[in-house]
Amino acid sequence: MASLRGLTLVFLGAFGAAVAGAGYATYSASHRAVVTLVDRRIEEVSRALLDETRPGDAAAILERVRLFAGRRETGDIGFELEDARGRWLGGNVHLARVIPSGFSTLYRRDRIVGLTAGRALSRDAGGGLRLITMIETEPVDGYNTLRLRNYVLGFGLIALVVLAGTAGFSLLIRRRIAEVRRTAEAIADGDLGSRVPVDPAGGAFAEQAVSFNRMLDRIALLVEGIRNVGGDIAHDLRTPLARLRSRLTRLVEAAPDAALAQELEAALAQCDEMLGMFAAILRIAEVEGGDRRAGFRPVDLAELAVQIGETMADAAEARGGRLVVAADAPAIVTGDRQLLSQALLNLVENALAHGPAGTMVRIAVAQRGDTVLLSVADNGPGIAPADRAAALRRFGRLDASRNTPGHGLGLPLVEAVARLHRGTLALGEAAPGLVVTLTLPRGPTG
Amino acid sequence: MKLLIVEDDADYAAGLKAEMEALDHRVTVAATGPAGLTAVEREGFDAVILDCMLPQIDGASVARRLRAGGHRLPVLMLSALGRSSEKVGGLEAGADDYVVKPTPAEEIDARLKALIRARGWTGGGETDTLAAGDIVVSPGQHRAWRAGEPLDLTRLEFALLAELARHAGSYLTRAMLLERVWGYDFEPTTNIVDAQIRSLRRKLTVAGGEDPIQTKRGVGYMLHR
Repeated sequence: MASLRGLTLVFLGAFGAAVAGAGYATYSASHRAVVTLVDRRIEEVSRALLDETRPGDAAAILERVRLFAGRRETGDIGFELEDARGRWLGGNVHLARVIPSGFSTLYRRDRIVGLTAGRALSRDAGGGLRLITMIETEPVDGYNTLRLRNYVLGFGLIALVVLAGTAGFSLLIRRRIAEVRRTAEAIADGDLGSRVPVDPAGGAFAEQAVSFNRMLDRIALLVEGIRNVGGDIAHDLRTPLARLRSRLTRLVEAAPDAALAQELEAALAQCDEMLGMFAAILRIAEVEGGDRRAGFRPVDLAELAVQIGETMADAAEARGGRLVVAADAPAIVTGDRQLLSQALLNLVENALAHGPAGTMVRIAVAQRGDTVLLSVADNGPGIAPADRAAALRRFGRLDASRNTPGHGLGLPLVEAVARLHRGTLALGEAAPGLVVTLTLPRGPTG
Repeated sequence: MKLLIVEDDADYAAGLKAEMEALDHRVTVAATGPAGLTAVEREGFDAVILDCMLPQIDGASVARRLRAGGHRLPVLMLSALGRSSEKVGGLEAGADDYVVKPTPAEEIDARLKALIRARGWTGGGETDTLAAGDIVVSPGQHRAWRAGEPLDLTRLEFALLAELARHAGSYLTRAMLLERVWGYDFEPTTNIVDAQIRSLRRKLTVAGGEDPIQTKRGVGYMLHR
């Protein structure tokens, strides 16, 4: 599919060629018509002049020339009589150049006073004499210039109208496309309420915008439905689970022996795991809804990383590992502090959960251009490049991690948080280990 | 405590009523906002548990009317959705705290007790020193002592101790501590509260003395008064 720019250029090129072609055709047709008429007249006049004289009688011919030059209807015609050697014998014009027998074209350079373009006929007048008859092909002085000006004015005006029209048209299309694009991007960013503005004056674009908006209404309805179903299920299952949990809590306390208490503890832990999963589902739904953007504030990721380093240090040490934070300079983003904390916590928890005991985890915050990079690297087993997409999928647990705790919603939640902040999440190789990098747009400094 | 639950979901209200009664509260249920407001006017309650989404007038409006009517009793909002915008709206309308359904009754109980205790405070604020047993915390100076000996605490440990000291004698749940000390509205998979409590305990008892922090399973932590 050709681009709009390419299409415009091709159109303008074709239009230019058509204008030039039409101009040339008109010019040459009118020129040929003039030449044909002039040639016919020269032919007639020269035959009339020679008709009543004996061939070769120079004096009689020159007498006829004088007569013709004096007549009103042939006064504009030039005559010259030459002998066999091309010498001027008489006439009202002196042509410096020797022209061949038959028709020739005369130019300004032939230096005939008052003539810029013309035609000449050299014909045999008997006895080796040659009569040259000349007529201007320009009905008025500077006729060619005038004609050129007419073409430039006429066709130029058309070209101008077409160019302005094309520019206006492409501007209009560009604006409509930009409107649709902005809306599509807003939708992609999770703002399902965004719509294409509809021109109240109507027209094809307005109709298209209305159709587009109807489609978006429908999509929003479907997404809302799906979200509600997910949310409703999670919510409705959470209520009985919470009841089960509080009952189990009371039972643990009342358990008559340690073995039973341990079993109940395990059940309680499973309960908490399920509640955690539902909380993550509901959280992802909330993040994807985009409402949290309303509460965005400047957040210093360096400060946040230090707090999480402090919070998670014990958990890392409990597994014989270590958690280090490399965040020297403040790195401000505009965002939701709680969600960013949760995202970073998830990443650190993942690194600790999936690595072997003694895993080293490193949180780093750095600025690069207009972005802030927040990364969590570990020296664990890493994720093979082919498995990285699966790791980002909801419930997309890798075979290697089947036996570790978790619900496969950690990374999808982090990715949803990144998207809410108009950032990205990338999984990379830390050689050895995994490095997960959140790239977020930098917020206002200061 | 004498509690009023304003909740239109009869099943949920009955369940919560039974659970709160099991925790030694006397509970009245109102199904609509106006019924709840009338109940508060008619009899004295110690606290109100108010659902966000009610027919006729919503929870936030009920809270606003209560405050406009001069009632200062603690109001705890219950939300089914747990959207941050809803929480902000409820707190702005005059509610004191906010939890997402289904919250365990123990959590609601702990929050209500903390709210009622906070009502007893006499102004002052962060610069006053807090005392709990032989522990003294000075939020203004960012320092703490036990039995006159200064404690070497990290920023988080200090914030945790200060929060526990502020509510000494009441249980603070994990969720409450996450909210107030960390500023989190979610529960991380890792039990970060337990970890911080452990290291705080270590530092509080390193120079001898009883463990001043009591743990109640399924509820939370309390600093002895």
